[in-house]
Amino acid sequence: MTSKFYKRLFLLPGLLLLIAIIIFPLLFTIRVSMANWNVSHSGLDWAGGANWARMFHDVNFWSSLFRLFYFSFITTTLQYILGFTAAMYAWKGFASRRFFRVLWLVPLMTTPSVMAIVWRSIFREDIGAANGLLSKIGIDPIAWSTQIFPATVTITIAEVWQWTPFMFLILLAGLLSLPKEQFLSAEIDGATPWRTFWSITFPLMAPISIGAIIIRLIEASKIFDSIFNLTSAGPGNSTETPAYYLYTRGLREFQISYGATMGLMYLILAILTLTILGQIFARVSKPRGI
Amino acid sequence: MQKAKKLRALAVVVPTVLIASLLSGTFTTGATAADSGMGPGPKKKAATFAVGSLIDYTKQPYTPKAYASAAKVKDGTQDCSYHNTSMKDYSGQKITVLAPPPPNMGEPMEQHGAMFAKLTGGKVIVQHVPVGDLYPKQQTAFQTGVSPWDVVVNFSNWIGDFQQYYYDIPTKYTSGNGELASMLPLYKGIYSWNGKTKFFGIDADRHFLKYRTDVIEDPAAAAFYKDKTGKTLEVPKTWAEYNLMASTFNGYKPKGQPAGTAFAGSSEITKRDDLMSTAFINRVAPYAKNPNVKTGFWFDKNMVPQVNNPGFVQGLTDFVASAKYWPQGGGNFGLSDEITSYGRGDSLFSYTWDDAWSQSNQSDSPIVGKVKAAPNPGAEKVWNSETKKWDTPAGGVNRAPYIAWGWSSSIPVASKNKQMALDFLCFFANKANHAIDLTIGRTGVNPSRTEDFTTDFWVKGLGWSTEATQSWIDTMNNYSTAKNRVFDLRVPGNGQFMGAIADGVALALAGQKTPQAALDEVAAKWVEILNTIGKDKVKAAYQNVLKLENS
Amino acid sequence: MKKILKYSFIFIWSTFVLVPLSWALVTSFKPPAAVNNGATFIPWLQFQPTLDGWKDITGISGYANLFPPLINSATVTFFSTLISLTFGCMAAYGLSRFSYGWKNYKNPDIIFFFISQRIMPPAVLAVPFFILLKTLHLLDTKLGLVLVLTSGLMPIVVWLLVDFFNQLPKEIDEMAMLEGCNPFEAFVRTILPLARPGLTVAGMFAIIFGWNDLFFALVLTFTNVQTLPVAVVALNGTVTPFWTLSASAIFSILPLVGLAFVVERFLSKGGFAGAVR
Repeated sequence: MTSKFYKRLFLLPGLLLLIAIIIFPLLFTIRVSMANWNVSHSGLDWAGGANWARMFHDVNFWSSLFRLFYFSFITTTLQYILGFTAAMYAWKGFASRRFFRVLWLVPLMTTPSVMAIVWRSIFREDIGAANGLLSKIGIDPIAWSTQIFPATVTITIAEVWQWTPFMFLILLAGLLSLPKEQFLSAEIDGATPWRTFWSITFPLMAPISIGAIIIRLIEASKIFDSIFNLTSAGPGNSTETPAYYLYTRGLREFQISYGATMGLMYLILAILTLTILGQIFARVSKPRGI
Repeated sequence: MQKAKKLRALAVVVPTVLIASLLSGTFTTGATAADSGMGPGPKKKAATFAVGSLIDYTKQPYTPKAYASAAKVKDGTQDCSYHNTSMKDYSGQKITVLAPPPPNMGEPMEQHGAMFAKLTGGKVIVQHVPVGDLYPKQQTAFQTGVSPWDVVVNFSNWIGDFQQYYYDIPTKYTSGNGELASMLPLYKGIYSWNGKTKFFGIDADRHFLKYRTDVIEDPAAAAFYKDKTGKTLEVPKTWAEYNLMASTFNGYKPKGQPAGTAFAGSSEITKRDDLMSTAFINRVAPYAKNPNVKTGFWFDKNMVPQVNNPGFVQGLTDFVASAKYWPQGGGNFGLSDEITSYGRGDSLFSYTWDDAWSQSNQSDSPIVGKVKAAPNPGAEKVWNSETKKWDTPAGGVNRAPYIAWGWSSSIPVASKNKQMALDFLCFFANKANHAIDLTIGRTGVNPSRTEDFTTDFWVKGLGWSTEATQSWIDTMNNYSTAKNRVFDLRVPGNGQFMGAIADGVALALAGQKTPQAALDEVAAKWVEILNTIGKDKVKAAYQNVLKLENS
Repeated sequence: MKKILKYSFIFIWSTFVLVPLSWALVTSFKPPAAVNNGATFIPWLQFQPTLDGWKDITGISGYANLFPPLINSATVTFFSTLISLTFGCMAAYGLSRFSYGWKNYKNPDIIFFFISQRIMPPAVLAVPFFILLKTLHLLDTKLGLVLVLTSGLMPIVVWLLVDFFNQLPKEIDEMAMLEGCNPFEAFVRTILPLARPGLTVAGMFAIIFGWNDLFFALVLTFTNVQTLPVAVVALNGTVTPFWTLSASAIFSILPLVGLAFVVERFLSKGGFAGAVR
C-alpha cells in the first residue's frame, strides 16, 4: 500500500479504459490508410503510400484545411468574447440573473444535427424566416446560402448560437469559483470595474480560458452539421471543411482508405497546431501573474 | 516483484494478440456474404381473406392519413394477392427492413408491413435511416460481413456496387402469374445485372419536363413571347428554347399565379451533394448521347471518360446560364426544395422526378390544374465522340431521355429468411397495393407496369384532369419506346464518379471555374477513380450499361 | 451608460437565443402548406395551427414515436456519463496531485493525450468502431454504444476537472490524511464533496455530448437501439417535414432543460466560493 499504488490507482483505470477503446480504431486507421479499401474492394491489402501521395496533391483537402482558419479560429474567438461577456453579467450583473443563466444555456442542449435543419428553415432564401422578416420591413432578400460572404455569415451565426453557451458555462463556473479576497482589496483601493477586470479577473481566468478555448478549437474544427444542412459546402466549394470533405469522400463514397489517410493527416496537423498554441498561450498568460 | 513483472508482461501481450488478430485474421479477404438459405418458409393455413373481395385501407392495422382517404381496391388474382398471402403462416418468424424515412417508401413499408404481419402472423420490423445514409449503412455492413436486414430499400444506380451482395429474384415473380410480370421491359432491364434480376421492382422512374399551362398555353403570354423574342411559344423542344423561355418569363406574372409568389424561370436541383448531378445529366443528355455512336455515353471504347467532351461542356454551359432565372435561393435547392418550390408555383419549368408533378397535382397545391408534362428538351446538335464532330440530328432535334434511377428493393444474400422477405416484397407490390400506392403521391411509388399507363386509372382514381394526365402518360410512353436513352453509370464506384461530377458542376455553377475547366478536372478525377477501382472491373460492368443504352 | 450597455447586451443576447427556438416552436404547429408556400409567423392570423407535427412524433398518429428512443438515449447517456465521470474524475485528481512520467512525457502530455481523443472527425472512426463492435458482438447493443461514447466523453471530463482540482488547495487532502485516511478515502470523503460543482459542470457536458451524439449511434446500431437523434433524423424524408422536425427539436431538449435548472442551482449555491476558502 505505497503511495505509488495510489498514484496508479487514480490514473490507470481511466487511462487504460480509454486506451482499450481507442487503440484498435487508431491502429486500424493507420493500417487501412496503407490499403486500398473502397466500394469495390474490401480488406487490408497493401497499397503502400499511394493514398498518402494522392492526399499530398489533393488541392480540395488542403484548401478545406485552410478554410478552418476562418471557421474554427474566428467562430471560437466570437464565442469566447460573447461567452465571457455573458458570463460576466450572469456572474453578478443583475437581479434576475438566475433565470438568464438557464436561458443562455439552452442552445447548448439542442441537438446540432437537428438544429441545423431548423437553421435551414430560417435561412432558406425562398420561404425562410430571415428573408420573410426582412421583406416585412422592405429589405430585399439576402442570398443567405448562395453567395460566399452571406453563406459564411449564416454558418457563423448557427455556430455562435449553438456553442457560445459552452464557453459561457465553463467561464461562469470559473468566475463563481474565484477567491473573493482580491476583489475586496481592489474595491477598497477604489479601482474602476474596468481596471479590476483587466488586472484581476482576466488574469485569474487565464488557465480556465485557455482550457475552454482549446477544447472549443478542437470541436469547432470538426464543424459539419451546419455546413451539411445549410450550404452543402457551397457555393462551389467555398464552405468545404475537412470534416465535410472527409465525410463525403470517406463515408458517402466509401473510400475508406483515403478517408483514413486524410483523417490521420488532420490528426497530426491538429496535434501540432494545438501544441504550438498551448505554448503560445502559456507564454502569454504568464507575465500576467499566473 | 516477479508476479508484478508477469502481470505487466500479460498486460502487454494479451491486448497485442487481440489487436493483431483483429487486424489480420478476419479482414484480409473481402468479406463475401455467405448465402444463408431461404429460411423455414411459411406453413399452410386457411385463408382469412376471401377471394377477390374489396380491400379497405382504413381497416388495416396502420393507417396513415394518406391511406385513410384512399379509394377501396379489389384484391387481385396474382400469386401474392391478399387472399393468397393470408394462406401463409409465418407466426414466430420475423424480417427486418432497411428503409428511408416516411413518407417516401418509408410509409408504405410500414403500412403494408403491418398488414402483412396481420395476414401471416409474422413480424415485420422497419428501420428508417436518412436517404443519404442508406448507401454507407449497407456498404459498412455488407463489406464487413454483417447483414442485419432481410429487405433493403435502395436505388437502382447502385447495382454495380451491390449486386454481389444481393440475392437473385426468382423468375416466377417476374413472369407468368407473378406480380411483376407486367412490368415494362425497360424497367426489367434496369433491375437486372448480367441477366439476373437483382432488384424487386417496386417503383420505376424517369425525369421529365413539367411546365405551367397558364404560360405555355396562354395567348397573352404567347403574344408577350413573340414580342420579346420573335418566336412562337410552345413546349420547348430543345434546352436552348427552354433557357430562352425561362429567361423571358422570369419575373412575368402568369394568369394563375398564386398571390404573393414571385415567378421565375426554372426550379432545378442545384445543391451539391443533394442529387444535383442528376439535374446535370438531363442538361447534358441530348448534347452528348448520339444515336449513331454505340460505344458509350459515359466512356468510349477505350474507357476514356467522355465527361469533358464538347457535348457535356455545352450542357453545363446551359446549366450555368440558367442561374439567372432561378427563383430566390434556387442556387441551393436539393430535391426537397425543388419539389416544394415548383409545387407552390415558383417557376415555369422543372425537369426531374415525378415528385414535383405529384406535388403540383395535389388538391392543396396553389397551382393545381395548371401543370402539364412533356418529354425533357432535346438539342439541335449532338456530339459524336467517334468522329469528334458535332452532328446535326435527323429532324433537327436530338432527344435523349434520362431514365433516372428510383426506389427499388433487394434481399441480401446473407438474409436468413429470404422466403419470408420475398413473400413480403411480393405482397408489398401486389396489384391492389401497387394501385393504391400509385394514387398517393408521397409513397414514392410511380408507374412501371403496362396497366399503370392508362389515363382512366388516374382520372377516376385521383380526379386529375384528363388533359394533364394524358400529357404525362404520353411522356412516359414516349420514354418507354424511345431508342436513344441515357442511363445511370451503373458501375462499381458510381458514387465516386457522381461525386466528382457534383464537385465540378458546383464549381462551375458558382462561377469559380469555367465549364470546360471544371469538367476537365472531373475527367482527370475519373481517370484516378478508374485506377483505384480497377479499369477492367469498371469496363466489364459498363457493358451492362451499354446494353441498356443501345437497346 | 454602463447600464444601457449591460441591459442592451442582455436583451439582444436573450433575443438571439430565443429567436430560433421560438421559430421552431411556431413551426411545430404549422400545417405543411404554411411552411412550404412562404414564411408565416403568427398562428391563427397567418395559418391555422395544428397538432399534427406533435402527433407525428409522439405515436398518436402512428407515424413515429420518440418515447422509446428517448429511453434508449437516457440509458446510453446515463451509463456513458457515469463511467466517464467515475474514471475521469479519478484520473483528473491523480493528474492534479501526483506527477506521472514516462521518459519525456509528463502530466501535461497525458492530459493532452486525453483531450486529443476528441480531435478525429467521427466519419473516420465510424468503420473501425463498427468492426471493433462486430468482433466483440456488441453491434446494435447499448453496451457497445456506451463504450464508444465513453471514449469521447471521458476526455472532456478529465480536461475540465483537472483545472477544478488544481484550484482546491493541497492542504485539504493532507489534513484528511493526517486524520488517518488513505489517499483514496481522502479523495472520496473530502475532495469529492468540495468538487461537486466541478463534477456537475463536467457531468453536464458529458450528458449533453452523449445525448446529442448522432454519428456513432447512426452507424453502430440497427433496430434494437435507436437513440433520439437517430430517430429524429430518420424523420427527414424526401420532402423535409420542417414541422415534425421542429417539434422533435423542442421535444429533445426538454429533458435537458430540466437538467439546466439543476446545474444552475449548484452553481448559485455558492459551492465554488466555499471550496476555495
